[in-house]
Amino acid sequence: MEATTGDLTDPLINHADGQLFLHEAFKIIVEEVLCKGTDVKEKVCEWREPEELARLLDLELREKGEPQENLLQRVRDVAKYSIKTSHPRFFNQQFAGVDYHSLAGRFLSEALNTNLFTYEVAPVFVLMEAEVLRGLRELVGWTEGDGLFCPGGSTSNMYAMNLARYRLYPEVKSRGLWSLPQLTIFTSPESHYSVKKGAAFMGFGMDNVILVKGAAPFLVSCTSGTTVQGAFDPLHRIADICDKHKLWLHVDAAWGGSVLFSKKHRHLMKGVHRANSVAWNPHKMLVAGLQCSVLLLKDTTDLLKKCHCANATYLFQQDKFYDVNLDVGDKSVQCSRKVDCLKLWVMWKAVGSAGLEQRVDKAFLHARYVVDQMKKREGFQLLREPEFVNVCFWFIPPSLRGKEKNADYQNRLAKVAPVIKERMMKQGTMMVGYQPLGDRVNFFRITILSPLVSQKDMDFFLDEIERLGNDL
Amino acid sequence: MASSTETHIEDNDPLDDPPLDFAATESFLRQAMTMILEDAVKKATDVRQKVCEWHPPEELKELLDLELRDGGESEARILELCRDAIRYSVKPTHPHFFNQLFAGLEPYSLVASFITEALKPSLYTYEVSPVFTLMENAVLKKLIQTVGWEEGGDGLFNAGGSMSNMYAMNLARYRHFPEIKELGNSAAPRLAVFTSQECHYSISKAAALMGIGTKNVFVVPSDKRGKMIPSTLEEQIKSIKSEGGVPFIVNATAGTTVLGAFDPIDEIADICEKYKLWLHVDACWGGAVLMSNKHKLLMKGIHRVDSVAWNPHKMLMACLQCSAFLVRDKSRLLQRCHSARASYLFQQDKFYDLSYDTGDKSVQCSRKPDAFKFWLMWKALGASELEQRVDRALAMARYLADEITKREGFRLLMEPEYANVCFWYIPPSLRDLPDGPEFQEKLHNVAPVVKERMMKKGSMMVGYQPHRGQANFFRMVVISPQVSRQDMDFVLDEIHSLGKDL
Repeated sequence: MEATTGDLTDPLINHADGQLFLHEAFKIIVEEVLCKGTDVKEKVCEWREPEELARLLDLELREKGEPQENLLQRVRDVAKYSIKTSHPRFFNQQFAGVDYHSLAGRFLSEALNTNLFTYEVAPVFVLMEAEVLRGLRELVGWTEGDGLFCPGGSTSNMYAMNLARYRLYPEVKSRGLWSLPQLTIFTSPESHYSVKKGAAFMGFGMDNVILVKGAAPFLVSCTSGTTVQGAFDPLHRIADICDKHKLWLHVDAAWGGSVLFSKKHRHLMKGVHRANSVAWNPHKMLVAGLQCSVLLLKDTTDLLKKCHCANATYLFQQDKFYDVNLDVGDKSVQCSRKVDCLKLWVMWKAVGSAGLEQRVDKAFLHARYVVDQMKKREGFQLLREPEFVNVCFWFIPPSLRGKEKNADYQNRLAKVAPVIKERMMKQGTMMVGYQPLGDRVNFFRITILSPLVSQKDMDFFLDEIERLGNDL
Repeated sequence: MASSTETHIEDNDPLDDPPLDFAATESFLRQAMTMILEDAVKKATDVRQKVCEWHPPEELKELLDLELRDGGESEARILELCRDAIRYSVKPTHPHFFNQLFAGLEPYSLVASFITEALKPSLYTYEVSPVFTLMENAVLKKLIQTVGWEEGGDGLFNAGGSMSNMYAMNLARYRHFPEIKELGNSAAPRLAVFTSQECHYSISKAAALMGIGTKNVFVVPSDKRGKMIPSTLEEQIKSIKSEGGVPFIVNATAGTTVLGAFDPIDEIADICEKYKLWLHVDACWGGAVLMSNKHKLLMKGIHRVDSVAWNPHKMLMACLQCSAFLVRDKSRLLQRCHSARASYLFQQDKFYDLSYDTGDKSVQCSRKPDAFKFWLMWKALGASELEQRVDRALAMARYLADEITKREGFRLLMEPEYANVCFWYIPPSLRDLPDGPEFQEKLHNVAPVVKERMMKKGSMMVGYQPHRGQANFFRMVVISPQVSRQDMDFVLDEIHSLGKDL
């Protein structure tokens, strides 16, 4: 292949065009996503069936490109048909709301487009990540330790399992599981499904996530803030058992970890300092924005690096001119790794730990308010008193009230939530999740965490459930 | 639990207030964006600015004021902190950043990133991410078409190519021994993975994480051009089988990390078919050749493989991360292998077609809509522009290699096949030394010093590494359509300028 030198003399792209597009697109993002997306007068979602939406979006990827006006319209369309997860009436998941400082941090992370494997390509963020992890570890009660940001809590949980396995049987890294006894992981039935997925992925097998006779337990994964009910496992008692049997104690605090910011509520995680590892997702209750997930470790023996390193010489040269311990990449199972610490750092700087504490406390107050209101309103039946900010309840339409003894009551009740959900989505007024759990039929789970919600939104939510479901 | 009376008493901070309001913070955001566009985008891509502003860690810590405190700071201070973060960050979008397998700025992809950050969607269900679910499907479909699987396939976007490679291993393992999902590795005999000596280290990390063990990753030697030797692969497979091991996957690399070499996929596919092994192609780096009519021959045979990992965030410059995993399967293997069917997320009684809830294909729970970054840029540029970029990058690499060959003091490791140009710089003082241990040792010390100097000066960034016992050599990686011949000349001039006294 010959170089066509004529073509190579000038840059192929025009930066001015690109920068103009960035500028124009940002205006649309501000208007359509940030302004409208957080305005209660606007819809939470603009429902379309998949085939129709595919047509509206004109998804096909073609040979030729398009002019900027077309592209700006596409930006508008994406905004229009996407769910407004920052909307005050988005209660569907364990993330919601928006923090604008964190958002600035996220935009900045994207623009800088770097990778967190070495100090040489990400000097600022290697240092920043270390500082943020230190701050979070301090809240757990550790003055030293290790950790890193992972692409999600599921990965953090997997890392914990891997470290526990490696600590007990370091030869597993090179030899695999073939020569080991059958390892088992203990966790509660309410734990997040990533424990099972992780167990399958890592070769333990999903079946070995529950005690099997004759097998070798090596890890207990307990949960601080379970997904559905928001329950907190009793950490001190579990830690006692782990100490006694020399098991690794991992705390999946992906959802509940943020209580550690609150002097009032941190008791829910009393004993957490006794754990070996903690998974915590600031993108949940702290509103840092997806993704922002940490794994914190009490270990100071470089276990994370020893467990994961592959010592690739093209990346982790040992003869660099700076302290190569700053090249944190080999602590990770990933190669390229996004900068997820900046969004949390900017927000923390902006509002301080006190500000984050206030946010957490407020979420609890909102949840308390909703619970109190539900007790006053007919038709709302709580599953149980919430410990956290998940409020799980059934809405019982008038036609079913007082009919609990009927044989088909449960079946009919199970059908209520899905219909209300469909209606709320098609009307775009709000989004709340529902699910069955064990032998309990479909119930709603509202998770209240956004700093954008007010009491009016709580009242609206209750009124709206009634409005959508009264005729069922 | 607090009673309702307690709530009223404590409720001085009224639940009535809308605490955060967009109007109040709009000004902050606009200022932040203006700064980002000016400092992190415009200046960062300006060749007259530095690529990096080097500071040793202790000094940098002080400059950044990293400490997290109890109290918050003013908006002006926050903007200042962000400005500093930009200033002291390395600029991978700079025209003289050649350090990694990603570079340059793709503004359409960046806009998609911004939209994603503003919307903060998670890609597990159609209900929460209708637009992005469809987009991911559309992009995967197009990539599968490009790979050449006429019957179609499946896939998803992952948090990095390492994860895509892991998925391949997991699917291959599951296909061979589906009971492993429930029972664990011990339900199967000792599995064996085959890969070339030039492969990416994620294969090794995958084997460790998945309980297979790095010792069960068998490394097949490569030839002088960095390509896996198929005959040796076959010998190794036979040998392992005779020992009682069970080969289940071969990982071929299309575009190796250091040399940019392409394994001979067709021949490897013959062997995999013969022994019924899963063939995965790690095309994270080299996959982009498939966009080019001129260069796609490098991946001849790709339509025969079981899975492909391809990172548009590398040669095609989509923003990090953008990593596709494609699998030639229509039996919902991904779903079956990974599913946990959590009922709080994947309810079976939803009011829409549940096949659009793709979350259970993944090992992750929340997942970013990375495909969108590629979709928007493809819409903007079209396949023909993407092809032009790939062709140009390779032509530029060719030009650089030719220049290296012409210049005294520069020695090419091998003729580049792709966009990696590996070479030594030999300072004048070493040029008359005979090749031998003394020469090699002295040569080995050249690149690290030149690298240090270029970083402290901030003029450019080029990677170096030792490889297969050879002295440290530079690895120039040519990606961005922003760079031109002058930049290639500059690189060589600058290396000479920085290293001639050594």
